[in-house]
Amino acid sequence: MNTIPPAIKALARRLVAFEATRNPSDGPVGATSRACDALRGPLAKFVGADGFRSLLSRALALAKVEIPSLGSVQMRPDGSLEGLEGVEQNQDAGAVVVTQLLGLLVMFIGEPLMIRLVQDAWPDATVAETDRMGEVQL
Amino acid sequence: MSTEERVTIRKLPTGVPGLDDILGGGLPEYSFNIIAGAPGGGKTTLAHQVMFANATPERPALYFTVLGEPAIKMLRYQQQFRFFDAAKLNTAVRFINLSELVLGKDLDAVLAEIIKEVEATSPGIVIVDSFRTVVRKATGGTGEVELQAFIQRLALHLTSWQATTFLIGEYTEGEIRDNPVFTVADGLFWLYQQVERNSIVRKLQVMKLRGQASVPGLHTFRITADGVQAFPRNFGLTGRVNKPRDRRRLSSGVVALDVMMSGGIPEGDSLLIAGPSGSGKSALATQFIAEGLRHGEPGIAAIFEERPEEYAGRAASLGMDFDAPQHDGKLEILYLRPLDLSVDETMREIIDAVERMGAKRLVIDSLAGFELALAPGFRTDFRESLYRMIGALTRTGVTIVSTVELVESFTELALSPYAISFLSDDIIRLRYVEIDGQLRKVLMVVKMRGGDHSKDIVEYDVTSKGLRLGERLTGYHGLITGVPQPLGPKDREGDPVSGTPNRKE
Repeated sequence: MNTIPPAIKALARRLVAFEATRNPSDGPVGATSRACDALRGPLAKFVGADGFRSLLSRALALAKVEIPSLGSVQMRPDGSLEGLEGVEQNQDAGAVVVTQLLGLLVMFIGEPLMIRLVQDAWPDATVAETDRMGEVQL
Repeated sequence: MSTEERVTIRKLPTGVPGLDDILGGGLPEYSFNIIAGAPGGGKTTLAHQVMFANATPERPALYFTVLGEPAIKMLRYQQQFRFFDAAKLNTAVRFINLSELVLGKDLDAVLAEIIKEVEATSPGIVIVDSFRTVVRKATGGTGEVELQAFIQRLALHLTSWQATTFLIGEYTEGEIRDNPVFTVADGLFWLYQQVERNSIVRKLQVMKLRGQASVPGLHTFRITADGVQAFPRNFGLTGRVNKPRDRRRLSSGVVALDVMMSGGIPEGDSLLIAGPSGSGKSALATQFIAEGLRHGEPGIAAIFEERPEEYAGRAASLGMDFDAPQHDGKLEILYLRPLDLSVDETMREIIDAVERMGAKRLVIDSLAGFELALAPGFRTDFRESLYRMIGALTRTGVTIVSTVELVESFTELALSPYAISFLSDDIIRLRYVEIDGQLRKVLMVVKMRGGDHSKDIVEYDVTSKGLRLGERLTGYHGLITGVPQPLGPKDREGDPVSGTPNRKE
């Protein structure tokens, strides 16, 4: 439905990979959850908790179309994801949820503002002030 | 932020002719809109038209009905419109009744149900009809803050789920202030139905549209078997066409008149034939069309005072066959007299016909009839309307001949009752003069913007072949007053020698 540029997919994969390096023991599942949680703070501040839940639920629905094995994943009332444990232990499957979330943000508010939100979510990381997601450094 | 960095808001086609232009290109995708107005204003029809234009099985439209027009009646009536596509029902277009929920539960339950349906179908279009009913029920036991929160959450969720939303409501303009619905909405479209004496005029206004420049003001629209058609009021005011100096001259159909006009009417000009009743204005306009047909140039006659068959019959009495060219698609006689027309609607109809036929010649017969065909409210700014209409029509490249009736005055030479002579590139004035106890007719070319023209005042007759011009009338002064005085020699009896014009073609 949404055509997401390869650069956004790459950024999402790097975000999940970055979270994976923080706590390698819980694998891609934990990394995806933490990436979504990291985005929740600045996004909820920006669109409200309801707004974040709406966006994440949409992103999850779009991701399920792409990766049917995400079918069992649900969003909890607090906006966190559950059921990722049952998904194939594939880093890309989790990254697709993040990809769709970033894709929605780019579609609604544009790439520069999406990058600002990502920078807010990972303030410790070196997120270069560039105009292309492909060049965002983590 | 640079232009490249700005997010691109895609615009959805409304499926309503003219409305995309008013909106500035179409509906902003994922916008949250209100369609408001009184009952019978066309809100549901407009929503259906947008829905059928955009709904697909992949991105269906969800139509939530709430205590308004029952879906079964809605479908019964809406299927009379040509845009209605029964094949889309229950695939691309789905109706869901929320009436019980609204009656029995609170706003949270209504929101939960809408969210459930939206998440299940991933719709591209969501319509709630009537949202006013939802709010009215809710306000019984819900505070304003709760209501605003409900609307906010609804808007947020539907936008997040990439739906373009329309809430339909029977509102009055006085309700706009302090109503949270209007605050949250990205687009606010107001439909009016005004009674002007015995005429009904429908108008729409884009009161608010975030993210893009819409055309301000009230635009007329009409509901026909095709659905809603809107007529942007800026129509005819955009773009200019520079006319080249050396333009082809079109024959008027009267050779002697072409000579007076230095070869004919410059192509693309707007020519006004002004004169009193019975002076031959329509005959001359008919000759202009017939001459074009003889040269294979398609023509259009927009008439307001006769029916097409009467018009063709009168042309036949002047020896011109208008039936065969109509059959061959070379001539279209547009009969425009519903008495509640808007100028924009008339313009649209004529311009569509010009473009459809590739017309080279256009006759508007007459401006007085056109004025009468308009709804009374539009007659008050008829001059401005003509300005827009002539401007729009000349930009198509067609050559226009309009007729205008004047009440003959014997003290001045009026050119038009509308003070619109500045709109016309060329003006031909016909008038009666009293000479030797006879009411005779004279013609003069008053103005030609494209160049030189004869200054002669010539006598003419309307014959069974159309206008026949005679010689320049000499021997009188004050011809343009209509009551000329003889000059020069007198005959043996002492009477002035009157000119008996030699007829020429």
